[in-house]
Amino acid sequence: MQLRRGGNSRCFTPGTCMTYIANRLLSVALTLLLISVITFMVTNILPGDVAMVIMGTQSNPEALAGLRESLGLNDPLIVQYGRWIGGMLTGDWGNSLVFKEAIGPLIANKVAASALIVVMSMTIALAAAIPLGVWAAVHRDKWQDTTASTTALMGVSLPDFFWGIMLILLFARYLGWLPSSGFVHPADDFIAAVRHAFLPSLALGLGLMAHLTRMTRSTMSSILSQEFIRVARAKGLTEHTVIWRYALANAIGPVMTVAGLQVGYLFGSIIVIESLFNFTGMGWLTYQALLNRDIPLIQSTVFVIAAVVMITNLVVDLLYAAIDPRIKLP
Amino acid sequence: MKEFFTGKGIVGGGIVLLVLAVALLAPLLIPDTWATQMDMRSRLAGPSTTYLMGTDQLGRDLMFRMLLGAQTSIMIAGTAVLMSLVIGLPLGVISGYFGGWIDNVLMRLVDTLLAFPALLLALTISAVLGPNLTNTIIAIGIAFTPYLARIIRGEALRVAQMPYVEAARAVGTSDTWMIIRHILPNIMPPIIVQATISLAFAILAEAGLSFLGLGTQPPDASWGLMIQASRDYLDVAPWTALVPGAAVAITVLGLNMFGDVLRDVLDPRTK
Repeated sequence: MQLRRGGNSRCFTPGTCMTYIANRLLSVALTLLLISVITFMVTNILPGDVAMVIMGTQSNPEALAGLRESLGLNDPLIVQYGRWIGGMLTGDWGNSLVFKEAIGPLIANKVAASALIVVMSMTIALAAAIPLGVWAAVHRDKWQDTTASTTALMGVSLPDFFWGIMLILLFARYLGWLPSSGFVHPADDFIAAVRHAFLPSLALGLGLMAHLTRMTRSTMSSILSQEFIRVARAKGLTEHTVIWRYALANAIGPVMTVAGLQVGYLFGSIIVIESLFNFTGMGWLTYQALLNRDIPLIQSTVFVIAAVVMITNLVVDLLYAAIDPRIKLP
Repeated sequence: MKEFFTGKGIVGGGIVLLVLAVALLAPLLIPDTWATQMDMRSRLAGPSTTYLMGTDQLGRDLMFRMLLGAQTSIMIAGTAVLMSLVIGLPLGVISGYFGGWIDNVLMRLVDTLLAFPALLLALTISAVLGPNLTNTIIAIGIAFTPYLARIIRGEALRVAQMPYVEAARAVGTSDTWMIIRHILPNIMPPIIVQATISLAFAILAEAGLSFLGLGTQPPDASWGLMIQASRDYLDVAPWTALVPGAAVAITVLGLNMFGDVLRDVLDPRTK
């Protein structure tokens, strides 16, 4: 079996481990810096600027020039970037033009809301994908495999907002079991919060499940054909133990890694799904920012999402090392 | 070649051919007016003998709109993938073949871009440039480039270490000639597989962008736009979402199946 990213993620002694973690943290810091530069650059190609968004395109040119001057939009880009990143680092993220609120608390609030559906959809996806993938791998090339693989293929082929529409039609409109839109804060009413988050999570989870089923199936089939599995069987262990204790323990690492990488995909998808379900989380906020050209808010939401994705990947890498006994971390 | 004629290969290949035929032929065979003519007396009509797949909120024939929309969706996805190949191929090959600091710098940049979810990147670029057909292509093309560049780099790196490359170097082959003659032909199979699968993702991305109003704009008709238009009428006319949704699903399913079979044929290592 291939270890992720070759040799650099192995560390056998505590010393090399600390170096490894230090290197990773340094590279995370560097990447975050690059992310901020890219985010800032992309939003600065926008035709029109913050002043124009505040005052409207029809506004008086002199007033516009005055506002530009007072917002510092006439400064060189590098100075503007410095001011922006300085604010980000010191916790002053500026104000949203649309919501007329401080961006920092606004985002913190929405990240918490989205965390609910990210966790719920990941749970749904893993709970379905692991048994389905194992089932397909154990019965490789039989009807069970075809069924599971076809289900998975269907899952990756349908846009998740299409799943969303179908779920709204079925569970909200026809059956009337679950609410089709809105967000309730878990602290206010936990049951209502889960009920509101359920359909969007399911819509996200179905696509994710399909990816993870395919991954589980291929990892499990390659592991099941390895020597140690034959040894385990020869020892007289039950098939149940061989599959769930021995094979799955080895397959879970790569599956978790892929699940972690899919967090990026999830954060792309929540933009569509939260908008569809009117679930006022991070995705919805990002969409509102993009739609209304709320430049300060676009910069902050895009930066936060990219940072969350990157940090998740780092955590997954470290967890992977913790789960897989062949990679030793202190 | 006989691997193509498995159940999956025939169905996947068949769907891909069918969709391509529709995208190419529908605009020639179906007059525009069939898809744009409004029939106010039969708005949101269900499937019937007059309207095989029903009508939309303006009483336009959904089947013809779906068939004509194929061209837009396929064209956007195809051009976007082509664009990400045109940018990603040189980046990936240079990075993988030369290695060293060039590789470090390029891959650091690619890794940074990979931290942005592709859909977020595409949405942001589209919002920044102003949503229309061309900018949708640019947005998806740029958003997909880092993925392709990463894969191409990996392949170039693998091939660059092959004994035949070493042998060619020993007889004094120049870098340029080496890349054209030895690297490119040998990294093509996995890239073709990846491009096919990217095409499926690009169709989904276009649908997502248009669904949010940051992709194709009316009067251009695409499948994503049709699904977006259906949102307000789901209760009374679910077929307005089902027709374009099914078109997207079948196309993407076909491309994914075809991609899987292509991988088995062209890239047996990953079987």
